[in-house]
Amino acid sequence: MPSAAALRLEIERTLEHRFPAALTPAPKTIYEVAPTGVAPVDALLEGGLPVGAISEVTGLESSGRTSLTLAFLAKRTEAGQVCAWVDAGDAFDPESAAASGVGLKQLLWVRCRNENGLGWAKLWTRLDQALRATDLLLQAGGFAAIVLDLGDMEPAHAMRIPLATWFRFRQAADRTRCSLVVLGKTAYAQSSAAVVLDSAPFWPESVGGTVWRGCKFEARRGRQRVTPQLATARKLPASAWTANVAWDTERRA
Amino acid sequence: MSSELYACVHAAEFPAQALLRLRTDLQTVPVAVLDGPAAQETVCSLNRHAVRRGAVLGMTRLEAEGIRGLQLLFRSSEVENAAHAVFLECAAKFSPRIEEASHGTACALVLDIAGTELLFGPPEKLAARLRDEMATAGFRISIATSGNFHAARIKAPATRGIAIIPAGEEARALEKLPIASLALTEEHKETFALWGIRTLGELAALPEVELVKRLGAAASDWRVLAHGSARHTFQPIEPEFALKEFYDFETPVEQIDSLLFIGARMIDCLVARAVGRALSLASLTVDMELDGGQSHHLAIHPAVPSMDRKFLLKLLQLEMGAHPPLAAVVSLTLTAEAGHSSKMQLGLFAPQTPEPSRLDVTLARLKAIVGEDRVGTPVLEDTHRPGSFRMEGFVVNAKPSAQEAGHPRMALRRVRPSHPIQVALGTMKPVAFRDGDSRFEIAAAYGPWRTSGCWWSQDGWDTEEWDAMASSANGEAFGCLLVQDRLRNEWRLEAFYD
Repeated sequence: MPSAAALRLEIERTLEHRFPAALTPAPKTIYEVAPTGVAPVDALLEGGLPVGAISEVTGLESSGRTSLTLAFLAKRTEAGQVCAWVDAGDAFDPESAAASGVGLKQLLWVRCRNENGLGWAKLWTRLDQALRATDLLLQAGGFAAIVLDLGDMEPAHAMRIPLATWFRFRQAADRTRCSLVVLGKTAYAQSSAAVVLDSAPFWPESVGGTVWRGCKFEARRGRQRVTPQLATARKLPASAWTANVAWDTERRA
Repeated sequence: MSSELYACVHAAEFPAQALLRLRTDLQTVPVAVLDGPAAQETVCSLNRHAVRRGAVLGMTRLEAEGIRGLQLLFRSSEVENAAHAVFLECAAKFSPRIEEASHGTACALVLDIAGTELLFGPPEKLAARLRDEMATAGFRISIATSGNFHAARIKAPATRGIAIIPAGEEARALEKLPIASLALTEEHKETFALWGIRTLGELAALPEVELVKRLGAAASDWRVLAHGSARHTFQPIEPEFALKEFYDFETPVEQIDSLLFIGARMIDCLVARAVGRALSLASLTVDMELDGGQSHHLAIHPAVPSMDRKFLLKLLQLEMGAHPPLAAVVSLTLTAEAGHSSKMQLGLFAPQTPEPSRLDVTLARLKAIVGEDRVGTPVLEDTHRPGSFRMEGFVVNAKPSAQEAGHPRMALRRVRPSHPIQVALGTMKPVAFRDGDSRFEIAAAYGPWRTSGCWWSQDGWDTEEWDAMASSANGEAFGCLLVQDRLRNEWRLEAFYD
């Protein structure tokens, strides 16, 4: 009587030319993750955003995507790592970054120029500049996180980025152990993105109707192709988190 | 046995060698160098290819132009000075005691190499290494070594390659050299020619007393020189270490590629000289003299001193691409500052950071894409003016941030430049605003937050900020920052909360 293991081996050998390892589950890639600094989102992502992969944080204006990304960068710079922000729309606010705890000395900010700028700059649109800059930074290596900020870019334009570009970014991020975070109104990287996090609109909080204290956001997992551990409990579908405004120094859970 | 030992390094036709050193494309073509006032130029130096074509020293420009394929260049004292510094620098790698022995258009140095056997081996090996070193720097030289200073000095110009004169063999080594090897006047040369004395060996064989009686006391010195036994008090010079290369173009150059062709060779020479002293290049300054009298200045500062030629050339290329000269370039000067090579101890658990030299090239490329002032680190200004910051150059800083990543904060997304909007006011609060053709209703507005400053200067500000919860006609809600400029009495959309 053949044992179960021998039987399985025999079946797999028979079907080898059609299905490689038919009865053996495909090994899952376990990615290293880096915490975002927002506990509910870390719980949702089972640890944080993946290292060496593309993560997309999507949502419309005031959906908390920028606040979440800055919180992630703050955790990375706190550990002494170097980050970059490729700003296609020139919308980055250094004061907000500093208030979020981002070490500005460890942040390289690339501000894409408007095509109405100097004559020679007309050759490149902001999107082209952002993609070229991201490519260069990924190739240079050494950056723990690179944020490609397409938050103000119309999806009709950003959707034209070829899939080959995202594939190349994914390969470069994997090789240099860099977390490439793409901020956008919708997901652009498609199958190259390891994680897509949809940020939902917010509910403002105020004190006495005169002072604005902060907002509540909802983060929903759109896609998660990587897993930080093999066996997981049931995944959370979404989580809510709160961000204070810069002048509200009271610490809240 | 004498303990003295000298090596004479002789570079013939130095004006031509100095010009061709950086022009590898001209090293295989006949070249003659012209000198003298305008319209009276004569050939003062030429290379061996030009000699084969029939060019001779002293030819007029018209005669030289008649030789087919002969390239004519103009003598440049700056180029020769720069080449001489390099020549001296190369020689100084073998001995700190050097005496200048140049004459005419030749450049010659005599090195005191006594006691260098342990470092460089016997004189044959030292001479071979010295020749290779000079060849790397772009010089064709001949070398003679001898225990007698003057024997080495006189033998070197008459030698092709390397001549080693053993101790006691000086007279024999010099006997076949022409009498013109000595610095004689034309009158004395004629006298010796009448006597039938053509070589140093024949001069050395003449009786000293009779010779002095006929030609004076100087004749005794010539005889001793010809015999290879003249005494000499060594007078060493102090070579000044300056990393500088200069090239004077014969015609103004407009193409950056052509400039880089010469620049690459200059960087090679600068790096080779710095490496010879166990140094690296900490900065590189490029000065270009432009057609029309203007000048163009560029400076390259790598993050760490480097001796990587390709890396420095890439930085030079990117810098020239970002700041091209506004007119054709007449002359190019590269000056480098030496620095010590950085050796960094890497830690197994240290966070990954970009490699400094690679980051320099990346930053230069980024600046070429988005602009010089749009890449760097944001630094907040010490002011209450909203949104005030400046950009500084990015330097890798692997120290952990002093700031702690605390509770997440609401971030702003700036609108640059801010949009002028039309705001409808209710009871002292904005209730709606119009941005172009779009109208937005304001559900809640928090404020006003007033700031003002610099009222004593032109760039003063006096603003009133409102945090507004707005919604568009299709129901999309967002938070934004509206600002009323009280000095100009206008409303602007400054930022979105995100």
